[in-house]
Amino acid sequence: MASTKEKLITHVSKEEPAGPTNKVTVVGVGMVGMAAAISILLKDLTDELALVDVMEDKLKGEAMDLQHGSLFLKTHKIVADKDYSVTANSKVVVVTAGARQQEGESRLNLVQRNVNIFKFIIPNIIKYSPNCILLVVSNPVDILTYVAWKLSGLPRNRVIGSGTNLDSARFRHLMGEKLGIHPSNCHGWVIGEHGDSSVPVWSGVNVAGVFLQGLNPDMGTDKDKEDWKSVHKMVVDSAYEVIKLKGYTSWAIGMSAADLCQSILKNLRKCHPVSTLVKGMHGVNEEVFLSVPCILGNSGLTDVVHMTLKSDEEKQLVKSAETLWGVQKDLTL
Amino acid sequence: MASVLQKLITPLFSGTLEPPRNKVTVVGVGQVGMACAVSILLRELADELALVDVVEDKLKGEMMDLQHGSLFLKTPKIVSGKDYSVTANSRVVVVTAGVRQQEGESRLNLVQRNANIFKHIIPQIVRYSPNCILIVVSNPVDILTYVTWKLSGLPKHRVIGSGTNLDSARFRYLMAERVGIHPSSFNGWILGEHGDSSVPVWSGANVAGVNLQKLNPDIGTDTDKENWKETHKKVVDSAYEVIRLKGYTNWAIGLSVADLTESLMKNLSRVHPVSTMVKGMYGIGDEVYLSLPCVLNSAGVGSVVNMTLTADEISQLKKSADMLWHIQKDLKDLER
Repeated sequence: MASTKEKLITHVSKEEPAGPTNKVTVVGVGMVGMAAAISILLKDLTDELALVDVMEDKLKGEAMDLQHGSLFLKTHKIVADKDYSVTANSKVVVVTAGARQQEGESRLNLVQRNVNIFKFIIPNIIKYSPNCILLVVSNPVDILTYVAWKLSGLPRNRVIGSGTNLDSARFRHLMGEKLGIHPSNCHGWVIGEHGDSSVPVWSGVNVAGVFLQGLNPDMGTDKDKEDWKSVHKMVVDSAYEVIKLKGYTSWAIGMSAADLCQSILKNLRKCHPVSTLVKGMHGVNEEVFLSVPCILGNSGLTDVVHMTLKSDEEKQLVKSAETLWGVQKDLTL
Repeated sequence: MASVLQKLITPLFSGTLEPPRNKVTVVGVGQVGMACAVSILLRELADELALVDVVEDKLKGEMMDLQHGSLFLKTPKIVSGKDYSVTANSRVVVVTAGVRQQEGESRLNLVQRNANIFKHIIPQIVRYSPNCILIVVSNPVDILTYVTWKLSGLPKHRVIGSGTNLDSARFRYLMAERVGIHPSSFNGWILGEHGDSSVPVWSGANVAGVNLQKLNPDIGTDTDKENWKETHKKVVDSAYEVIRLKGYTNWAIGLSVADLTESLMKNLSRVHPVSTMVKGMYGIGDEVYLSLPCVLNSAGVGSVVNMTLTADEISQLKKSADMLWHIQKDLKDLER
């Protein structure tokens, strides 16, 4: 007696069903991980989304909640498990796992706690997706991208840190507010260390190719009557402020991670400020990861744009590198 | 001494800026409200988004977090405030505010508490956006949509409850999984009361116009060997299950509200199962809200599709209506 399904549908293809073509895994289903997941889903970037975490009930609940929205999405397969086998054949793996900043806590404080978590996560990811591209979001991102690179054994083009992608987005938002223009036309690059010591490259700030520092030579200095320097200060303070108000940040970092995934999955070769190995650049001698403008495509981070920096800007990068190395050299990996 | 702004830009138009044409307000910035907000933003449905709540820090934090993502969005203005003046000129207002049931609390008590909260919210919304369409999401949604309609003084076609839109989405997802196709290719409607007594209309379930009940006349009954009825049960249990696992549900309801918002904002005249005033239909004599297939356009509920229901399905709707009215009639202070 044929079932309803058999009466309704006749299978005609003799091929094995093909696997996913642009699978994304998100590791960690906290606020950041889920914000990244929903942004990735709403941008129609992937044909399969995998979620991994250690908290099994929360993980299953989040996966079900997303699956119940399938009618409104174009990602047909959403899977989740504590076991990393669900992540197999991922093109991009977004790592958001780890402890988060408490109110007033600096990112560097989180380090060792998160290194230990990565020692479990990273090898498991590579085991099931040896050709993936890793996008590290967990903080302190520059150090943890270095850690992920070391633990994964992947070439440096496949390990990317979300870095100052978000800082630059925040800068461009604030710049846009000041000028009354959409952020996408307000160009400004914040590079270096994600966090307190990020570097705003004032010489590059422009709208339609008009360099603002040409209009206001004091821009970025303490003498500036328009106090553009405070725009960068607001960027640095942003995370702390949002954490103080709502307990954590999620939406902006989630959207910025999806933006990076888009460039990678669609092979756009767009230029983003993300964290990469900068040894040998801008006077940096240590094996550290800092954000510089990078070209992202389906092989990952293939090229770096060499910015013309002022000597004090380079000094800041070198100083960040030394601070990061100071922490990294004491890590047991 | 000219500022950077003055040197950079020459204004051509110096009158007052036009009011927003596609503004959406979300009331309540809890998990559901923010999921609705993010879905609406990422679907690019609004040119302005306003958030309102009573918890000021959380409200400001959520607004800032969304604003920091403005580079990636096409909604240039995101505002928030405890004061409803920020909501002025909204086309659609999504209401997610309200309290949750305490342990052992009766539904009537929960409803009265939420009605009291809505008494502050709804008149303020209508004051600043007299032409808006209200989408009520807070539970128990059918009763609270009635409460909202009464408090707003708006015509009934402009007050919608999210109703069984989500139940139907879950149903289509689960049924489609069993058959191995995308939910959008599986057509099935769950109507009536959102929650335990929702009504799956088995006679309408079809793929490519092929009626499943014709293939399996027992579908949805207890005698059905394939136990398709279990799928509807899973829909009813879904919310409880997700709440048990992660503490609340938000993503699916957020996506479903964005879907309704799209039909309203873009005047699509798509049909959605949402909660509407059903007095006069199917023998229902009381002023209650239940979910029926509604054609949604820029005026709100343009029309209702007359579903062909079995006698049993109609009696289930009537039973829900009686039960809802039984609770509603005792609510106090609903007149404007």
